[in-house]
Amino acid sequence: MTVVQTVLVFAGIPAAIVAALTFAVYGKSMLHQPNRYRPGRPWNYAPAWFVPHPDAVVPTGGARPQLDAGSTTTTTAVGGASGEW
Amino acid sequence: MSGEVRVQHAGTQHGPVGHDVGENGFTARQLTRLDEALTLSSRESGLIFSVYVGELRAPTRAHAEALFERLSDDSVLVAVSPAQRVLHIVTGPGSSRRLPNRACALAALAMRASLSNGDLLGAIVTGLRMLADSAGTL
Repeated sequence: MTVVQTVLVFAGIPAAIVAALTFAVYGKSMLHQPNRYRPGRPWNYAPAWFVPHPDAVVPTGGARPQLDAGSTTTTTAVGGASGEW
Repeated sequence: MSGEVRVQHAGTQHGPVGHDVGENGFTARQLTRLDEALTLSSRESGLIFSVYVGELRAPTRAHAEALFERLSDDSVLVAVSPAQRVLHIVTGPGSSRRLPNRACALAALAMRASLSNGDLLGAIVTGLRMLADSAGTL
């Protein structure tokens, strides 16, 4: 065997097997969960406020919520809950 | 933090495509799930649910309540800050009658379980479902 063949057999094939196993184990999560959140890791995305589609909201005695960044106070917080993880 | 918040409907047409992550940190499929959960829970319960994902200024509870004050009496705000590992559920004068603090605490507990596993979207969807179930239908 030449040097090239030796390197291919004894280094190339094991490397290919390791790469295939690594992809089999972690490939799916690498492809499908690019933004998987991990507790304790930073969250470097812009803040976002998601509201339901206006057609799904049945206004009960009031106007639809207006979510302007500079809007004035329209209601007060009464209750709720908090948590940390 | 600038304190500036962009308001948008989940599942916007200008959002990410496929497995790409949009600027809000969610993929198109995740945004679709979020939109579905928000719309269904709001339609079923008659309350207006909204979800804030991002940094909260300290004290975080006060910031979440300040955000809530832009909503209406029948609104429920679920504010999650993944970086600070804190979540707040805020109810108003109308929604607190349907959602007592006990129900909110239970939803927050379930969300904490998912969040500590790193399932951010699952936590939000679970929380919305539990809150909508607790509120019942009109």
